[in-house]
Amino acid sequence: MSAIKSSMIEYRHVHKWYGDLHVLRGIDLTIGRGEVVVICGPSGSGKSTLIRLINRLDDLSQGDILIDGRSTAGLKGRGLRQLRAGIGFVFQQFNLYPHLTAQENITLALRRVVGLAEPMAVQRANELLDRVGMSDKRDSYPGQLSGGQQQRVAIARAIAMQPQILLFDEPTSALDPEMIGEVLAVMREIAKTGITMLVVTHEMGFARELADRIVFMDEGIILEDAPPTEFFLDTRHPRAQHFLRQLLSPLHTASE
Amino acid sequence: MGLDFTVIARNLDYLLWGRLSTGEPGGLLLTVIMAIASGVLALAVGMVLALIAWWYPGWVRRALFLWADFIRGIPLIFVIFWVYFLVPALFGADIPGAASVVLALAWFTSAAVMYSTLAALQALAKGQREAGIASGLSDGQVLRWILLPQALRNLLPSYVGLFVSLIKDTSLAFIVNVSELTTVASQVNNRTQIFPAEIFLFTAFLYFLLCGGLSLAARGVASLSVRW
Amino acid sequence: MGISFDWAGVLTGEPAQWLLTGILTTAYVTLAASLLASILAVLVLGLRISPARAGRWPAMTIIELFRNTPLIVQLMFWYFAAFGLLPLSWRLWIGNDHAWARLPGGIGIISPEFLAATWGLGLFSAVFIAEEIRAGLLAVPVGQREAALSQGFGPWAILRHVLLPQALRNAWQPVVGQYLNLMKLSSLATAIGLGEITYQVRQIESYNSHALEAFAVGTALYLIFGLVLAQVLSRFEPSQIAKRKPGTVKAGTVALAMVDAAKGIDCSQGADRGA
Repeated sequence: MSAIKSSMIEYRHVHKWYGDLHVLRGIDLTIGRGEVVVICGPSGSGKSTLIRLINRLDDLSQGDILIDGRSTAGLKGRGLRQLRAGIGFVFQQFNLYPHLTAQENITLALRRVVGLAEPMAVQRANELLDRVGMSDKRDSYPGQLSGGQQQRVAIARAIAMQPQILLFDEPTSALDPEMIGEVLAVMREIAKTGITMLVVTHEMGFARELADRIVFMDEGIILEDAPPTEFFLDTRHPRAQHFLRQLLSPLHTASE
Repeated sequence: MGLDFTVIARNLDYLLWGRLSTGEPGGLLLTVIMAIASGVLALAVGMVLALIAWWYPGWVRRALFLWADFIRGIPLIFVIFWVYFLVPALFGADIPGAASVVLALAWFTSAAVMYSTLAALQALAKGQREAGIASGLSDGQVLRWILLPQALRNLLPSYVGLFVSLIKDTSLAFIVNVSELTTVASQVNNRTQIFPAEIFLFTAFLYFLLCGGLSLAARGVASLSVRW
Repeated sequence: MGISFDWAGVLTGEPAQWLLTGILTTAYVTLAASLLASILAVLVLGLRISPARAGRWPAMTIIELFRNTPLIVQLMFWYFAAFGLLPLSWRLWIGNDHAWARLPGGIGIISPEFLAATWGLGLFSAVFIAEEIRAGLLAVPVGQREAALSQGFGPWAILRHVLLPQALRNAWQPVVGQYLNLMKLSSLATAIGLGEITYQVRQIESYNSHALEAFAVGTALYLIFGLVLAQVLSRFEPSQIAKRKPGTVKAGTVALAMVDAAKGIDCSQGADRGA
């Protein structure tokens, strides 16, 4: 169903300016099919922008991003919409449609973008809600759900159109601590299906267990790009080391 | 189409300030005077009512809301009628038509001022009041030093909007023959008969300048205080 | 001071007939103008939010024009000036008595007064209704549009399925307020000679000087009209359960009130927006 045949993502000399602010400075990055890549870094490092460029929520200023070997920078209109339909995006603020039930949140795009008939759309939605553990809430409105529940529905919505690429923009940062676990559990289950995932997050436990690679960014540049073991035990770049120390130490201070 | 605006030139002084030379201000001047007078009154009364509603949230607030909904539930024209006929009847003395219109407009607008002011106070985060109380300030002090300053700053655009509405509402004085701009324009039209388009376009233009200019100025001021 | 009330003088005989005419006229002109306003509001809104400058700028001009001039002046313009610009044959035809165009109660709708009042009221209200809905659109969080974009929706689909439903829920109270306003503003048509309630009340007052009684009845009539209209409109209210959590709703509607006021939308004349 998705218009993207394989899911190799390639950034080529990508730059992004917001006015005078140089947010991404020459990004070259390749992501293979089925890889789970975690992107981390201090705030303002450009990591959110990095993944938002993939489905063109923001547009790059220079360079190109190739998906499955095909350039996406010039896509417009129908081609762009097809690209987006093949990529799932999970937001930090969930962004569920508040005037629709959980089930309707999932069926809306299935019916209006993909063109599925209602019974099939409802069936798929129910399967997905079941998969994320929300089948008893299918007729609830987002306003009646907790943050963790909303995010799980949002994830179900994102995978409903069977994308080959899934993007997560700090999916647990807006959640109370006791709800982070349920969302990470869903993400783990999805990661094991072989889909290509890019996850911007601070959750290092998730990174250690499920990531194929961890990418560290600071001030618009990729400073470290390594598999988890190497990333945690043999960190090369000093700023990456500093970041990890802060993140993992109890008082979040860079001691010694 | 051929519009002939010389009729405006011939009557310009009458449209702008009525019979000022004989001590009877009229036209645009009277419109502005009435709007300012009503505005000041409405602001004073409305703010006091809002503070009362804020202080006494029970039946007092509900009674005030009932009164406000009643006032705003009838056309402004009727409020003008009531004041115009009732005040002389109640107080025996005759007051100038313009004064009764000012009272009516003030009474009507004060309800809106009360609602806006109360809403602004309620919109402030609860934490503001709690922070004040926690340092030992009384409720009155919290209102005076913490809540009102913030609320009033937020209310400025709302108040300007109400004032712009007031300027437009002075046109209803037409109904009791008070010589503000609309009445005067209508008189000129009745007298000259053949220039309605020119007269009413020009009248609309004067209101547009006044109201539009005020709104623009208010937006300019609002954008300056946004940094706060 | 002894005041004696003579209600019979107002509620029987000729005055009663006049009041009935007034009630019906107010009802008809409110209905006609509301329909017109609804249609025009969609047009104005569509132009105002269109991506093309050729659509936005005329819409913004019209909106500013109608918001910054009093309705009574607009009505006078339509009745005295614009009417005279119509072709002579049209004017003669409108001025004639049309038996087929009489609504129940003998109210003729093809008359210069009725047409000018309907047109003036409808146009005026359309602008305000469009702006209220636009304010509702602006209050929808930007993440909603991004979520829909990221699913591959096109711009009109986003508007139709995601943004407008939420905008209408946000703006419901203010929009209802505008329709109630329209009903009350119909009283201004007395200035151009339309025989609605206010006109009839003044007629009674000059007929038998029963000012207090006549005004009291008129006041009561408008209040009743308002209650009935509010009830009828509440039938159309979109499901409230789908709104955001209480905290956000309140901030949203209060913020809307201030956004409106800052943009100069009519806050008096009873735009029902409670705290």
